[in-house]
Parts: sequence; structure tokens; C-alpha cells
Amino acid sequence: MTTIEAMKKQSRGDKPIEPLIFEKHVAGVIGVDFPPLDVPETEVPEGVAGGSTTLPSFGQHDVMAHYTHLSDRNFSVDGNFYPLGSCTMKHNPRINEWGAALPGFACLHPLQDDDTIQGALRLLYETRTMLEEIAGLHEVSLQPAAGAHGEFTALKVIRAYFADHGQPNRTVVLAADTAHGTNPASCTMCGASVETVRTVNGQTDLEHLKEVIAIVGAENIVAFMITNPSTAGLFDANIKEIADIVHEAGAKLYLDGANMNALLGRVRPGDFGADAMHYNTHKTFSTPHGGGGPGSGPIAVTEELAPYLPIPQVMMADDGSFYLDRSREKTIGKVRSFICQFGVLVRCWAYISACGPKGLRNVSETAVLNANYLAAKLCTTYSMPFFDPKNGKFCAHEFVTVPQTLLDKGVTLIDIAKRMIDYGVHPPTMHWPIHDCLMVEPTETESKQALDSFVDVMLQIAEEISSEIELVQQSPLESDIARADEVTAARKPILTFK
Amino acid sequence: MDYTQLNTTQRQEMYDAIGIQSIDELFDAIPSEIRCDDGLDLMPALSELELQRSLAEMASHNHGPHDMACFMGCGAYDHFYPALIDQLISRGEFLTSYTPYQAEASQGSLQAFFEFQTQIARLTGLDIANASLYDGATAVAEAALLATNTTRRKEVLVASTMHPEYIAVLRTVLSDVDIKITMLDATDGIISPATVEAKMSDTVAGVIVQSPNIWGQIEDWDGCFEKAHSVPKTAGIAVFNPIACGMLKTPGACGADIAAGEGQPLGNALNLGGPYLGLLAAKESYTRKMPGRLVGMTTDEEGRRVFCLTLQTREQHIRGAKATSNVCTNQGLMALRASMFMTTLGSDGIKEMATQSWHKAHYLAKEIAKLKGWEMKYNGDFFNECTFTCPCDVTKVVEFCKSRGVLPGVAAAGRRMQGLSTGDELIIAVTEKRTKHEMDALVALLSEVSA
Repeated sequence: MTTIEAMKKQSRGDKPIEPLIFEKHVAGVIGVDFPPLDVPETEVPEGVAGGSTTLPSFGQHDVMAHYTHLSDRNFSVDGNFYPLGSCTMKHNPRINEWGAALPGFACLHPLQDDDTIQGALRLLYETRTMLEEIAGLHEVSLQPAAGAHGEFTALKVIRAYFADHGQPNRTVVLAADTAHGTNPASCTMCGASVETVRTVNGQTDLEHLKEVIAIVGAENIVAFMITNPSTAGLFDANIKEIADIVHEAGAKLYLDGANMNALLGRVRPGDFGADAMHYNTHKTFSTPHGGGGPGSGPIAVTEELAPYLPIPQVMMADDGSFYLDRSREKTIGKVRSFICQFGVLVRCWAYISACGPKGLRNVSETAVLNANYLAAKLCTTYSMPFFDPKNGKFCAHEFVTVPQTLLDKGVTLIDIAKRMIDYGVHPPTMHWPIHDCLMVEPTETESKQALDSFVDVMLQIAEEISSEIELVQQSPLESDIARADEVTAARKPILTFK
Repeated sequence: MDYTQLNTTQRQEMYDAIGIQSIDELFDAIPSEIRCDDGLDLMPALSELELQRSLAEMASHNHGPHDMACFMGCGAYDHFYPALIDQLISRGEFLTSYTPYQAEASQGSLQAFFEFQTQIARLTGLDIANASLYDGATAVAEAALLATNTTRRKEVLVASTMHPEYIAVLRTVLSDVDIKITMLDATDGIISPATVEAKMSDTVAGVIVQSPNIWGQIEDWDGCFEKAHSVPKTAGIAVFNPIACGMLKTPGACGADIAAGEGQPLGNALNLGGPYLGLLAAKESYTRKMPGRLVGMTTDEEGRRVFCLTLQTREQHIRGAKATSNVCTNQGLMALRASMFMTTLGSDGIKEMATQSWHKAHYLAKEIAKLKGWEMKYNGDFFNECTFTCPCDVTKVVEFCKSRGVLPGVAAAGRRMQGLSTGDELIIAVTEKRTKHEMDALVALLSEVSA
């Protein structure tokens, strides 16, 4: 047996896969019981009564065991360094969970009258005003359920504004070639088409921006969607000029707020000319990512766009009480049921309140410091197209590496990523925003020890590529499973257990 | 506390490694005229102890199902869920992970979502389900887009008896993409198949009917979808309550092609309306047009059964403007809660919950119907919710009950119901959590206020 085979065997050889719940079913056994029915029965008419569903069940202890075993098979921020670029995987404070779980918050019905939920409405009103201040914009709507949902909502708001101002023909949205995939997808959902604006060295190409505006026709443009710092991890030094060009075309500047972690307390989007933006509270404001949600995507807009925000809006009355206002005649309507991701916003409130204004500024400073420290330590081994500290070119809160010299030795980017898993590090974002890149975002909550360990891991992998390349090519060697066959999964999708 | 962990010495070491003198150099790219150097105008930081006090204080100003008997429904229900869910969901391995892009580091979430998809498919009687959407309303909107994208047709028929907020969201979502909404008027509180038949044409992509509907009435899904299918490829879209599927005919059994619903009743707290989760299930033929995350079963290089995200070429991060939806972050943790709930209860447990809700709702309805002047608005079959016309001002009823610690239901004319009604109607929901004692107390209050 080779060393590599021995490593695989030692790490996962005999470890059984966790059976599916459907394979654990025990007829007649369920994990919880019910009190006896305390009212007379009413017959269920034959026309509406259904047959039996086929959901499995088994005893309570095995339910606990099942999910405990599954949890053992997950990397997480709690357990691992998780530098997933553009996702801001920062620490999730447990005071946030504590607050959201209070019965006075968690048990409220969404259609209750305002006078029974004054505490909750106060929390939402305070969250709203705090997010307005951080954005430097006139008004926030808390309704969108996630970042992409916020993009959609804000674009609807902007389009409604133009329709109301006799410019319904503005149907083209400009987006950078490094934009999040959600940007163009959100445009499509708003019935707008997308034109791409080039970036050069991670910065918007101003000449190309002007060119595209000229080609499309200024009068046809809804907005330019920009991410700042860009998805390449760079502050756009020309942001003011970009805003001027966009406004000159009569269009609006939309900020994708995914990277707000680099701006908190340092720059306010409204101050550089953004007309509308969304937040991702699960990125910037420490609400847990939960294996893919819940997120929350509040949007902030200028005063001229505010009349079109969704309803209801949380307001404070003259007497200091709070209420949900529906009287916004130009509203785009509703983008989700009820009010907002309330439970997520409790956590968001707790985080912003814990940080305070100075803390928020320290968050962005430390996030940027941590990223630059990692970049500085790694840039000689992992080439970085946009990072050159000697010439004053720094990154923001994340950086991009295209490790070409390592790839040239006979490994793929995926090999490197999978080897990181062996070292207990969640791989960074890959192949985006540029091909063959890793995008690393350490966040501000990592300790220096954790950053140094990551540097050691990355240098170790580079060393292995030179000395024992099979270790990297055949990785992961020490995880529960070998590489998953994603091609067959997509070709012959099996989405349910039969 | 801002949760950073560096001391001054460490910061200096890091400055040295980067080659800077001060942190400001890292922000040099930001033009000075847009910097916010005066600081944000926010309240000063609170310590954790102060946060606990503030949060508890704000929570204490709220009253609801935790300290009142709740008969409110209309899309959000005060159902029981086992204590183990809160415990398991708090595990950081679930709570603090993200979308499982890296299969080798995320088998836990992936297997759980695969199990969830299977549970939802089985619960609805359909072939496939995705790994969740934002909520019931957005799931309905995505279902409509799934039907229009599949058929390339430009019209959907929508039951006027659907939740008014779902209709409102559908209007928002469809307003700029050139898809026409044709409303189906109700007859005796439900949609008659004849009404569907009258509106059917070969431009119709889907027929959307919610059952139980906003009034609590059980709709004739079979009849409506049969009419929908009079035009080939038109989708019957069932908007469903997952608990009702435990005892009533499922969407699949009634001929639905797509099912969309609010998943909150499956083990999720009321949370003032969110986070919840949208459920979306469909027949297999819709697989490649489904919005949202899908987890598939496959094998690893060593032949082991494993799970991974699949069909990602449908999704925004690969397909951009041509994606089937813009959804990225969904409601993973809520889906996990729902799955844990279904695993703990199984078919038998969910049937028990559904059956108890049925019996209790019918008991309460019979008791209220005995009161002078209280009449059921509609006489069709209902599940756990029914509508009464009050003999007096409904606001007076609600206020009186509230003052006695009871949330008696949802006023159909309430300003939150989007103009559903102008009458004095109360929509009353009963879950398995309500006791006979609480129901008898409500009846006494209704009797007293309308006397």
C-alpha cells in the first residue's frame, strides 16, 4: 500500500456512510408524542381525506444521533478557517442567537396588531435608521429576504421611479464583467436587459463605460450596478467619477453591498453617489449563513426613490410609538409575505449595537488589515495580479490570486482547493471573478494565529506541489469522502431517494 | 465589542509585514472627499450584558402566542414543534456553514437537504423538490415563472381566494416581465372548475389555486386542474399547507404539476413573519428549469454514496442573465428545521397533528355557530381554519379579546389583508396546540362581546 492509499484508508477507509433517514425508518415508532385529543371528533368526508404519506420516522435518540452525525460532516466558521471570498464568513456571536430566541421575539404572529408588538417594531425601526446612517442614504426597506432579493427589489424601485417620471423606456442595466451572477439574473427578473462594462486591473474601465452608454443610448439606461470594493477585492478609486458619468446619463448608481465589510464607518455609499444599494446582513452584520440562508437583504435608497419602496414600512409616530405604514401610494407593492426576515434582523440589531460606531470602523479596518497581511505573506508564492504593496497597491477586505506558477507544475485549482480541505481549511471562492483564481476573504474576526496557520498551510501545499505532487493531485486524502462525481450528478440527476 | 482579536503588538507586526506605517495607507485608494472620517452617528457600543438587558426589555414589550391564546393563521400557524429542533439547529456545524459548494467539506448539509427534498416530494405527492425558497409567497411567484418559462406562454390564471399577500407578491414579480395575471372569481368561497374552464386558452401557462384557501375552505384541486389540463402542458399549480398534506389529498394526488407553499408550519417559529421557507415541488419534467439550489445523489471517486449541489448551470452564478431565477442564498437553516421536524414526526406524527387540528377547528366552529348572530361565511369543507361573519364590529371583537389575553383570529378587512374584504369577518385558525379550555374561553368572549 502506498502512503497515499494508507492516508485515505486511515481517514475514511472503514468509516461508514451515514444512512439516509429513509433507510432508518421503523414502522410505528416516532420521535415525539402528543396529548390525547380533548374534543369530540368530526368525521373527515371521503372527498377530501387523503391516503398516507410515506415520511419515515424512528425514535428520538436516533433522530439526535442522525443529525449529530451529519453535523460532524460539515466545515463551519465555528470549526474551520472559512475564507470564502465575497461571502464574509465572520464569527457569529451567540448573543445574537440568544436575543432572536427570546419568546417575546420568536413567538410573534406576523399579522398581530401594532399595539401588541411595540418592542419588535422598535427594534426594526432602530435597525432601519442604523442602516440608513451606515449607508448615508435617505431610507431603508427591511423587506427583502436576501441579497439577490434586495437587488431585485431595488431595481423594481428604480424602474418604478423612471416609469413615474415618464421614462419607461429605460430598460437596460449596466453591470461590470466581474459582477456577482445575481446582478444580471436580477435584471432579467425585472424585465431589464444587461450590458457588460469591462474592468481593467479590477477597476471599472471609464472609457468603456462611456462607450457602452453611447452605444446603448443614455436615455435607455436604468442603472449601473457596481460592487465596491469590487469583486476583485479593490476599492474603485474612480467611484466619484463613475457616479458622475452615470448620473449624467440620467441613470442611477446601484451599489451591490456584498462587500460592505470593507467600508463600514470609512465610506458611506450615499456619499460617493450611490442612489440605491442592498446589504447582506449575513455577510456584513454577522447573522449566520445557516448552510445557505436565511439571509436578509435590506435596501437603502435616496429620497427621490423612497416613495417607491415596498410596503409595509416601519415608522415612528409623533408620540414615540411605532407602526407599520401601508400608505405609500407609489409603492412597488410587496416582494415577500408579511414584513421581513425579522429573526435575522434581531441578530443584525444586536451586532450593530455591540459594535457601535467605533467598532464598525474597526471591523472594516481589521478586515482590510487581515486581508493585506495574508496577501503580503503569500504573494511571492501565490501570484496576485492586483496586489503590489511596494507600489501602494493594496487589496480591500479580500484578494485574488491566480497561482499560475503552481498550476504550471501540473496541478489544477481544484487540486489546491481540495488539499486545503485536508488541512481543515474551507477552500476560498474559485474561478471567480476571473478564471483560475482563488478569492480569499479572511474577515476581521480571525486571530493572528489563525492567519499565520493559514499561511503555513498554503506554503505547505505549494511545497508539496514541488516535492510530492500526488498528495495534492489526489486530495482530499483526509476527508470523509473522496472527490464527488459532479458530472454524473448533473447528467443523470437523482434529486430524491427512491 | 466588535469581535476582532488583534492586540496592538500584533497589529504592528502585521503593518511591518505589509510595509505600512498606519492603517490609513490601506484606504488610500478612497478619495478623501468621500471618506467618512467624522464617524457614524450611531449609539455607542453596548456590552453583552447591556445587550441582554436591551433585548429582553424590547421583547417584554411584545405580546403574542407565547403569552396569549392564538387563533391567528392566514399563512402562519402556531404549531407545536419538538424541543430537540432548537437544540440541534444550534450546532455551529450547521448554523455557521454556508452553501455547500465544496461537497467534500459539506456532506452534512448536503445529505440533510437531499433528505429534505425527498420529504417534500413525498409530502406533496410529486417527484422532485428544491432545497427551499424565501417563503410561501415567493415560492408561488417562482412556480408561476417555472410554468411560464417551461411553456413560453404569457398568462397565468390565479385564484382570487389565494392569500392576498401571495397575490400581491405575484403581481410585483410578474409586472415587468410581460406576463398577464387573470384572476379567477370565487363561487361560494372557492373556485369552480367551470370558472377555470371559461378562462382557459392556449396562452395559459398555469392555473394557481390555493387549498385550503384564505378563507380556510378546501378547494376542488382535482376539478380545477382537470380543466387546466384541457390545454396541453398547462401546469396545475397547487398552493398547499404542508400540515394539511398529512391527512388531506396531496397536490400530486389531485393532479397538480407544481406545488408551492409556506413551510413555516414544519418546525419553524412564527418569528413575526420570517425567516420562513418557501416549498417548491414539481413533476420530474420540470427538473432542469427549477429555481434554487438542488442537491443530487452521486458517488465519489472511491465508489461511496455522496451528495453534491447539482444542475448548477441553471443558476445565477453560472448562467447570469439566463438563469432560471436570481435566487442565491435561500433558507437553508429553515429547511433543515423542517426536515428535522418531519424526521421526528414522520407520516404518523404529522397526520396526528393534522387530525387534531381538524377536530379542534371543527369543534370550535360548531360552538361559535351556536352563538347568536355568528355565522359561518362559507359552508364548504375546511381544514384548520374557518371564517365567521360577526354580528358586530370585528375590530371591537378583536380588541375585546386582546384585552382578555386572546388573539381571536385575523380580521378579513384588516389593513394587512390587502383589501380582501370590507365586511366584519374573522378568520379563525386552530392548531393542535389549542386546548378545549382555550376554545371554550374564546367562545365565551365572543358571546360576551356580541351580546
